[in-house]
Amino acid sequence: MTILTDVLSELFGMFVGDARLSAAILVVVAAAAGTIRLTGASPLAGGALLLLGCLAVMIGAVLRAARLRARTARAERTQG
Amino acid sequence: MLAWSTAAPAIGSAFLASIVEVVEAFTIILAVATLRGWRPAVLGTGAALGLLGAIVLALGPLLDRVPLHLLQLIIGVLLLLFGIGWLRKASLRAAGVIPLHDEDAIFASESAHLSEEARRKKTSLDWIAGITAFKAVLLEGLEVVFIVIAVGAGRGLLWPASLGALGACALVLMVGAFVHKPLSQVPENTLKFGVGVMLSAFGMFWTGEGLGVEWPGADLALLVFALLFLGAGLLAAQIARTMQPEAAK
Repeated sequence: MTILTDVLSELFGMFVGDARLSAAILVVVAAAAGTIRLTGASPLAGGALLLLGCLAVMIGAVLRAARLRARTARAERTQG
Repeated sequence: MLAWSTAAPAIGSAFLASIVEVVEAFTIILAVATLRGWRPAVLGTGAALGLLGAIVLALGPLLDRVPLHLLQLIIGVLLLLFGIGWLRKASLRAAGVIPLHDEDAIFASESAHLSEEARRKKTSLDWIAGITAFKAVLLEGLEVVFIVIAVGAGRGLLWPASLGALGACALVLMVGAFVHKPLSQVPENTLKFGVGVMLSAFGMFWTGEGLGVEWPGADLALLVFALLFLGAGLLAAQIARTMQPEAAK
């Protein structure tokens, strides 16, 4: 049972290590799909949105984690 | 005839990603072998490899039944989730926000954990050691299986990608057998950074193709995506480093 639980949590963690990051990527993919299918824009415009959106989401996720870590470190230093 | 320009990124990505995962599994197998000898380590590893092989054999024929565009979209999205997640972590490690993976520390903690488990449960240490090796190979192997399927399935490159992964296993085992200690000198975060970049680039390519985008330059677009993700990862790491209190001094 433990092994099965570990396997399932490993599989979950592979794709949803950071829930906000995963949700943001899915939103970008949905927006690109919507642009192509619903607005009648050229598929390449949807592709550009997908590319720029994913790059922005990645940079945003790194900076958010760095900001959180910096805030925690400052709080610990103030308390200590 | 398979074009090298198409196969090389798949083989390279599977090879590099597998090196990272196999090094992690090897550290635990070595801890098991050092503590209880090679028998439980080899038995656990063999059982996990057998199970992984069965998973691949079961999944392979199923993939052929999924329409290509749908397969590309599903695998592309999963690769984006997986690849950008890796790239985020590698950028944070490069920036010093989270600590680097330390194989020596993992080896020591795994050895201590094994002894503690045996003492607490009062069961045969050989059994616990075998299960530990089994779990390590199964969990790390699942990631290898996913990467091989993900970079290979969209273009019928499963065999080249599998060869890349097997090459990585052979290389790590050869080097591991030679040095006989945790492979702590492997530049793991650099590899993870590179793999995150490649998986994200593949994810972008497949997701776009699945949505009906015809990328300019066809396969060459992969290279452009890789360069863009590499640049974005390095930029993010650079900015993240300046945000840390230590850097502000």
